[in-house]
Amino acid sequence: MTEYIQNPVLWAVVVVLVAAIAVIVRQRKSAQALRHEIDGLRSHYSDLENHYAQSVAAAQEQAEDATKTVLKSAMRTLQGLAAEQQLVVSRLQTKYGDSTILQDLLEIDHTNSQFGRRAQSIAVLCDGWLGRHRDAASVYDVVRSAQGRIRHYRRVEILSQVDFGITSRAVEPVALALAELLDNATSYSSPDSVVEINIRTVPKGICIVVDDAGVGMNDEERARAEKLLSSERVSGVSGLGNPPQFGFAVIGVLAERFGFEVSVDSSSPYGGVRAVVLLPHDLLTAMPEQKVQAPAVSAAAVPHPAGPEPSLTAATTADGLPRRRRKRPMAIVPGSAGGAGGTGGGTAGRGSGSRSGAETAAIMGAFQRGTQSGRAAHDDRAGRTDQTSGTTGASSEGHEVS
Amino acid sequence: MTGPGEWEPEAAELVRPYVITKGRGLPDEAELSLITLVTAAPEGPRRPTRLSPEEQRLLDICSAGYLSVAEIAGHTRLPLGVVKILLAALTEGGYLITRPPVARAPLADREILEEVLNGLRAKFG
Repeated sequence: MTEYIQNPVLWAVVVVLVAAIAVIVRQRKSAQALRHEIDGLRSHYSDLENHYAQSVAAAQEQAEDATKTVLKSAMRTLQGLAAEQQLVVSRLQTKYGDSTILQDLLEIDHTNSQFGRRAQSIAVLCDGWLGRHRDAASVYDVVRSAQGRIRHYRRVEILSQVDFGITSRAVEPVALALAELLDNATSYSSPDSVVEINIRTVPKGICIVVDDAGVGMNDEERARAEKLLSSERVSGVSGLGNPPQFGFAVIGVLAERFGFEVSVDSSSPYGGVRAVVLLPHDLLTAMPEQKVQAPAVSAAAVPHPAGPEPSLTAATTADGLPRRRRKRPMAIVPGSAGGAGGTGGGTAGRGSGSRSGAETAAIMGAFQRGTQSGRAAHDDRAGRTDQTSGTTGASSEGHEVS
Repeated sequence: MTGPGEWEPEAAELVRPYVITKGRGLPDEAELSLITLVTAAPEGPRRPTRLSPEEQRLLDICSAGYLSVAEIAGHTRLPLGVVKILLAALTEGGYLITRPPVARAPLADREILEEVLNGLRAKFG
């Protein structure tokens, strides 16, 4: 044993052992400290990461808001101008209705409508102004309004009509959404194909079905469209792609906000896309009175205030009004009440509207002159040598009659 | 999106005239002038449902007898040219008949009038 004790190798081994133990203990301690530190750092890092993500999102949101605000007010100006121009063009159309300029005015009107719609679409994505107030309108008119807002409106055909109106609140959004659908339908189908619109009554409300004969959508496009039409879409103007595709995003926003449904998940019998707009009963109303009739009534009633017209007018506000009103000028034609027929009545009716008092007087005078000269000739055949003196007298009498 | 205060009272017609005409061009002046007379075709009752409300209305107006184009336009709120386009289309479709205006009577010859006057004087005077 002593030889072992005296063996320096043993001592060396012991020393090394002790040293090793000491080192291990120290290492452990420092490792633990390091581990702590790492944990701390890690949590700090994730904190930072969270903060970063938050501030990036906030910045993004702020930027988006700023963009929206700018676009919104810019579009508001453009929309206002487009609406103003539309009124001016309407006025010109009435003013130069009989001229060949009308053709060009109609074209300007068409371009202006498209311009207005583009601005409106961007405004919708920015929560902006939707347009001026509209009265409730028939579904058919709303569809035609949508038709007028796209470039290739001539290729759109409306195949059926229903006797329903759309509430004034929903007129503009439905027209705009439908215009976007029609724009897609006409843009993605060949230039000589027709886009068909069918309007149908269904238990849930009314369906407006748009069928195109285009190439349809592939799965990716369909998925994108469905996402934009559903509520999970991102709002705002970012992420519309380049060039931006507004259509489905606009439709999605409008449908959600005004409570109608749009789906594009079926294909049309012509191979293209079938888009279906479902308008629930909330957005529907009875067929509105035709606005055209109101001014026509007053315009026709003013020149002929005599006779039983008021009761006539009141009795026939529904259909057949124009026919009734046509009888009024006929009735005041002297001596030809019923039997004169349409032609005579028509000419007389127009005449009394456009003739001046002097002309009417002249005509009445001539009539009077004729009968009087006839009677005079009969009564006093021999005594009359000069016809002109009698004519002058009759003429003044004629003025009094009229 | 839009507060009630933001709505403004005035808005142009919802359906634009070029949609009503379906983009058709103006008819020839010779074919349809202001004083051309128009009436509904005799086989009126079977009226197709595919016509637009404006066309239906024009048929209603024309069903009472001959009316001039100017007068028909006065009964609608549409620009005159638009009414002309619709009337031309309806005529083409066989729903309406047009009749050119009655030609203006030529003024009677002065000599003839004098001869008649002389004759009358000779007989009654």
